Amino acid sequence: MIYCERVHKKYGKVRALHNVSISCGKGEILGLVGANGAGKTTLFKILLGLVTADSGEVEIAGDGAKKIGGIIEKPALYPYLNAHENLRLFAKMQGANSSKQDVEASLEQVGLPLNRTDPVRNFSMGMKQRLGIAVALLNNPSCLLLDEPFSGLDPLGIEALKQLILDLTQQTQMTILISSHIIDVLSTVCTNLSIIHNGEIVQTGATSTILAACTTSYSLCGSDIKKASFLSDYDTVSNGDCMTISASATEISDIIFKLSQQQIAITSCRPVLDLQQLFNPKEK
Amino acid sequence: MRLLYIETYKLFRQSRTYYAILALFFIEAIVLLSAYYQGTGIIDIVLANLKDTFYFQGKLLNGNLIIYFILNSFWFHVPLLCMIIVSGMLTTEYQEKTLQTVFMQPVVKWKYLLAKYIVASLFTIFLVLLLALTSFILSYGIFGKGDLVVYTNGLTFFEHDDAFYRLVYAFLFGTLSLVFFSVVSLTLAVLLKESFKTWIAAALFLIVSTLLLKIDLGNEVWNQIAFFKLNNTWQYFFNHDIEWNTIIINSVLMGLYILVTMLVGLFLFQKKDIG
Repeated sequence: MIYCERVHKKYGKVRALHNVSISCGKGEILGLVGANGAGKTTLFKILLGLVTADSGEVEIAGDGAKKIGGIIEKPALYPYLNAHENLRLFAKMQGANSSKQDVEASLEQVGLPLNRTDPVRNFSMGMKQRLGIAVALLNNPSCLLLDEPFSGLDPLGIEALKQLILDLTQQTQMTILISSHIIDVLSTVCTNLSIIHNGEIVQTGATSTILAACTTSYSLCGSDIKKASFLSDYDTVSNGDCMTISASATEISDIIFKLSQQQIAITSCRPVLDLQQLFNPKEK
Repeated sequence: MRLLYIETYKLFRQSRTYYAILALFFIEAIVLLSAYYQGTGIIDIVLANLKDTFYFQGKLLNGNLIIYFILNSFWFHVPLLCMIIVSGMLTTEYQEKTLQTVFMQPVVKWKYLLAKYIVASLFTIFLVLLLALTSFILSYGIFGKGDLVVYTNGLTFFEHDDAFYRLVYAFLFGTLSLVFFSVVSLTLAVLLKESFKTWIAAALFLIVSTLLLKIDLGNEVWNQIAFFKLNNTWQYFFNHDIEWNTIIINSVLMGLYILVTMLVGLFLFQKKDIG
């Protein structure tokens, strides 16, 4: 379990975190959403023990020598060593098993090939992320913190990493905290979301509830969508074969139903979030 | 022991370590080559009058003199090289953020830095050993044996056997000064974190220390115990009478300075955030 209560942190006169409280239970995946500079990385560094909070309470519950593992920003590995050597070094450092079998098992767990023996400086960002996660998972921590794990990854890499995160929670009941500003990805992985803005948590709750509250329009795509005359009753913005329609969740269901009755095929329906509502719910 | 092994492993897996060793050999090669092609002429001019008055065993430009020349790289070149390599043991970890990855594992901060201090000191000793071995072998091999003539306050002459053990002791006690500079550079790395800033600070520290060595502090005690007054202890072996008492006191003091510098570094590192 990851728990922090009323955490404050300042860098000189700059307020990085103000009265931040979050909680993530066993087997849960909590997404921390915030713009750049919102305080996500600072909070993660505090949770990982790299930075000391000015005040507040932090508790990481877990068994064993290592309660929490993680990646901050980009995975930082020894670039002149290969994947096997990096894992062996980090395992030795903390007294974890570092035999050939253990190292290979760690590589397999994150889906890395065993036959890559070149230095990790040659690895793609996706492979580095995987190796970073393998290092974080050494010594079987109960909690995992991933700071911006999807940035710099291609769509295939994002999908593979999403699956790895879901597998970890299902197989080990691990507590996972992920920060990102890619809300689309977080919405498919996280059970709960916390929204951080200017160093403060402005919203916390179930992912579906938060996203539904902040969705004021939907983007529908289909080659004949402009032929639907009834859409003129709504506020719409066209963009090629897509149309952004201001509508509630109930209304969009009706729209899709009507479109199907008129034999207009819809290739995608994507909620468009009102970021102002997401980051400043009190100001609305 | 685990951390000592890891630091040694990392040090010898990085190409810059081998560049440093090559640079050391390069300095040595320059001394040997310049002595080989130009040394005899210069020595003959300088000592022409003395040669008429005194009898010297062997040539004046001999292995002992060349080793003494190489030994003089202890003033600036070798400590600067040590400081650059040793500070890099920490600054590159800050730069590449591997230090963050390390401290996301259950590793005690002060133990990790202590391992770096120990490995840095051992590496410095290894470099000096390498320099000493190669300079003795190459210098005697190319230039042969002979009496050593040294100019400190005046010209001093040592017979070959006497010169040999004075040079060995000078290397031995000079190592302590180099270890001090290495330890200082690692402490500077704790403070400054960035490679370039640390290199500049280390070079400045070295230059100022060398300048202060020549300056009278106006107080006999400070003139004896200030760290920059201890860096020339290895030169005492080229006085006619070896002042063992002074050498031992200076060495103990230097050992204490090394220890204090390490403790300051450990304290600061333990208190500092990694991020």
